[in-house]
Amino acid sequence: MSLPLERIPTPKSERFKYTNLPRTLKGLDLKPASLGWGNKIAVLEPKAPGAEQYRDTELWAINAENVSDIRFISGDDEIDVNAKDGQFICPRIVIDVKDNQTVTVVERQGGAGAYWKNTVVQVTIGKNATLRHYRICDEAEKGVSTIFTHVKIGRDSTYEAFCLTTGAGTIRNQTHGELTGENAHCWLSGVNLLSSAQLADTTITIEHQAPHCTSKQTFKSVLKDQAHGVFQGKVHVHQVAQKADGYQLSNALILSPEAQMDTKPELEIYADDVKCSHGATTGRLDEEPLFYMRARGIPESVARALLIQSFCGQAVESISDESMHEVVTGKIEQWLQSRI
Amino acid sequence: MIKIKQLKAEIDGREILKGLDLEIQPGKVHAIMGPNGAGKSTLSYVLAGREEYEVTGGDIEMNGESILEMAPEERAGKGLFLAFQYPVEIPGVQMTTFMKTAVNSVRKARGLSELDAIDFLKLMKSKCKELGISDEMMKRAVNVGFSGGEKKRNEVLQMAMLEPKFCVLDETDSGLDIDALKIVADGVNKMRGGDRSFLVITHYQRLLDYIKPDAVHVLAGGKIVKTGGPELAHELEEKGYADIVGAAA
Repeated sequence: MSLPLERIPTPKSERFKYTNLPRTLKGLDLKPASLGWGNKIAVLEPKAPGAEQYRDTELWAINAENVSDIRFISGDDEIDVNAKDGQFICPRIVIDVKDNQTVTVVERQGGAGAYWKNTVVQVTIGKNATLRHYRICDEAEKGVSTIFTHVKIGRDSTYEAFCLTTGAGTIRNQTHGELTGENAHCWLSGVNLLSSAQLADTTITIEHQAPHCTSKQTFKSVLKDQAHGVFQGKVHVHQVAQKADGYQLSNALILSPEAQMDTKPELEIYADDVKCSHGATTGRLDEEPLFYMRARGIPESVARALLIQSFCGQAVESISDESMHEVVTGKIEQWLQSRI
Repeated sequence: MIKIKQLKAEIDGREILKGLDLEIQPGKVHAIMGPNGAGKSTLSYVLAGREEYEVTGGDIEMNGESILEMAPEERAGKGLFLAFQYPVEIPGVQMTTFMKTAVNSVRKARGLSELDAIDFLKLMKSKCKELGISDEMMKRAVNVGFSGGEKKRNEVLQMAMLEPKFCVLDETDSGLDIDALKIVADGVNKMRGGDRSFLVITHYQRLLDYIKPDAVHVLAGGKIVKTGGPELAHELEEKGYADIVGAAA
């Protein structure tokens, strides 16, 4: 079986405008494979939630038709999704957080050689519960990783997600969050550190479907060489969702003239009593602080690294788990040491 | 210690320094005074190695070695320190991290072993105490939310921590009330002595009441137009720059 190339969305579709998946995948010689988790349990939702309304869920459908592995998670867990050279895999991770539970899931995405991982992460959070979902992406240069995360967040519950990318070929990180109960919170943040010809696409839709919900998106991209960052964030406040608080921030730091950042914030608001803000910046490293630090004897590369680290700080700070905070800080330091 | 010879420098194609000569012996404090636009800040930036300024002629020697080709961090390693007129805010970088990185960078450049966290904190605490700087300030981001006085005190703290041989103070008195000015001047005076030299750049004579210079120079039109003892500062204060600059031109 070859790849379902004709099914993969092209840049003609609005939500894939900046990421040309068919072109990237066409040259790869891949065969269906599995991670060995097993896929005999039939609980798939063949149609992605929100499919009709947003028409951006083709990757979910491809996963449902080709699912290679299924894993259930209902408590603290760590999970590795590692592809090998030549593999096309469609893992499905189902996370179910029951009422009054606090769960931390660490997901490590990686691989070697050329591959396509088309992962779906399906999350349901009950009432008065919290899921902390931390994702670390360190993909191979020729690896394509598309992840579709769908989250349903119940009353008085919180979904806190952080994604760090330190290595990529082509990454599409798509999240669809539904705030279904009152006083529910969807807090997404991430840091993408990209060099050479890497691409990381962060595409988000958050639906406020109930009153008094908050959503936050805080994303930082650091782009070197010919790296390409994409951020598309949509906040959709339904008419019932009064007192919604939606916040969105995407900052990109461009370290070379060939690097590129595409940012598209979108607000769709149908309620009249809401607070929504968004900010997007793309710029270079400030010369003033750089000179100040160098005048104090700090070598230029060290000064740059410190400034970049502080640039990422605002996103990293949103990680409430202390040990994960440390892991992420360490990984950012490592990346800076080897590349700046 | 420092020898500036026929220094010419420009920014954006505009010549600011037009053949400046100045020599400071080890252990001496020299003041440069001058009207706005004379080239005072340009001189301090050129000394520190800011890349936007292009040196088009002359030389700067520190201990017999030209520093013109050196990067700012190399100059700092060699013992040059610039106290900024407008200290830069660096959100997200904690003072302690910044200071420790700076201290260990210059120690490395000087062939000294790096300080570990404990020795560094001891050093910082003792210097903070000397200058009346609270520990709480060291937990904040570099200069972020600092008052004008705190920023200048912070410059002096950095100077004390980095133990330079040649200090340039660029309008350290600007924006300071008299109490803050005294604290800053005290900090500087404590560092005088031995071989350490100072170049105090200022618009007003007031600072020189607290930091007594060995010599005073008048900078105008990109050149030193007059040199004298401390009394020259008072003369300038009384008569203004117009007389002296006018007479020299």
